[in-house]
Amino acid sequence: MSGVVEVSRLLVRYGGNPSPTLEEISLSIPRGSVYALLGRNGAGKSSLVRCLLGQQKPSSGKCILFGEDVWKHRARLMAKVGVVPEDPDAPPSMTARQLSAFLSRLYPRWDEASVFERLRRFEVPADTLFGSLSKGQKALVSLALALGSAPELLLLDDPTLGLDAVARAAFFDELVGELADRGTTVLLTSHDLSGVEKMADRVGMLKGGRLVLDEDLDALKGRFRRLRYANEQTEDPALYGQELSDFDAVRVKVRGWGVEAVVSNYGDDAFARFAAKEGVVDAEASALSLEEIFVAVAGEASPGRNT
Amino acid sequence: MSRGLSVDPSDSVPLWKQIEENVRRLVASGALKPGAAVPSVRDLARDLSINPATVAKGYQRLVEAGVLVVKRGEGTFVAEKPPALARGEREKELESGARRYAALAVTIGATNEDAMGRVERSLGFLRRKRKGGVE
Repeated sequence: MSGVVEVSRLLVRYGGNPSPTLEEISLSIPRGSVYALLGRNGAGKSSLVRCLLGQQKPSSGKCILFGEDVWKHRARLMAKVGVVPEDPDAPPSMTARQLSAFLSRLYPRWDEASVFERLRRFEVPADTLFGSLSKGQKALVSLALALGSAPELLLLDDPTLGLDAVARAAFFDELVGELADRGTTVLLTSHDLSGVEKMADRVGMLKGGRLVLDEDLDALKGRFRRLRYANEQTEDPALYGQELSDFDAVRVKVRGWGVEAVVSNYGDDAFARFAAKEGVVDAEASALSLEEIFVAVAGEASPGRNT
Repeated sequence: MSRGLSVDPSDSVPLWKQIEENVRRLVASGALKPGAAVPSVRDLARDLSINPATVAKGYQRLVEAGVLVVKRGEGTFVAEKPPALARGEREKELESGARRYAALAVTIGATNEDAMGRVERSLGFLRRKRKGGVE
């Protein structure tokens, strides 16, 4: 069975730009999974999100939601999608109550009671003008409204950006409840990588318009390790790192005490062979957090590009 | 209720596996007694703010292994009888656990003596705790 979201060879080129913003991206999100889309600013995340919402026409390729082309069937498909935008953009002079009443006319399955129930839980007043709410409250109102339509797909575009720790926790709490109750499929972009690390099943990483990673989080974390060791084979720092030839080293740094490297194809057996190599002393391997993996992969200079 | 069931996302061990191992440890030590209720998937996911599917995966493995049982409409409980692992399965689990520990000991430069001593003390502690019900 195909996924809730199927992106195939999606290419987006903005007029006059020599290199495309998205270069033939393909990805698939199965029903019920939580997919985290990562990337530095300018990597193409927003363009991909706009394409998925039918707000941007692909130069070529397709975005398919629930088996149908988004660009062709936007209105029908968007009824099944809940969106929490990066910058909640509801009209500032409307209250949450008025916004809910307005949206109930657009969505056939609108559940007004659930909206007020969530607002109560978030302790956000339903009768305060949207424009007078704090940033955290705006995000929570957006989430309550996004869930009001009982969406099959929830698209969260950096929803916790600028929120404090308490508001972030409340936001993720609600998301956990939603996942437990209904198994809603989620596409999430976020800079809060420790939050993502606990929530995501699968991670995609955009870099310079290309999808450089698209993998289950467990597998991703299993193959990345930081290696530290002293090199007694050569006195010449320029030759350090050669002993790593069995690994794909994403990054190698020479420190005072020896060498630190991040490798992307770690295996216990390969490491045991490496640690036993002549000249390699005190080798140790440690796990990386998603944030560290992100920095190692996203921070690496991409060949043939200058952005 | 979720005490002792914390997880560390920066660990290389997948979160569902950490949950599985923590529950096993709590059952082995007697902190979770046979027949005791374990937190629901939803409650534990909320407490740890992790994806409920991750908790469910850990629990699923424990149910398959016979450590936990699901009673419909009531919740999930520690099995009344400790699970009897098939011999091959048991060997495999012991072997892989031993390898993980050995790799850790070697990486951080512990002597064989130090590493073995700690295993013996941990075993003794768990067995005493089970017998005496020391908290």
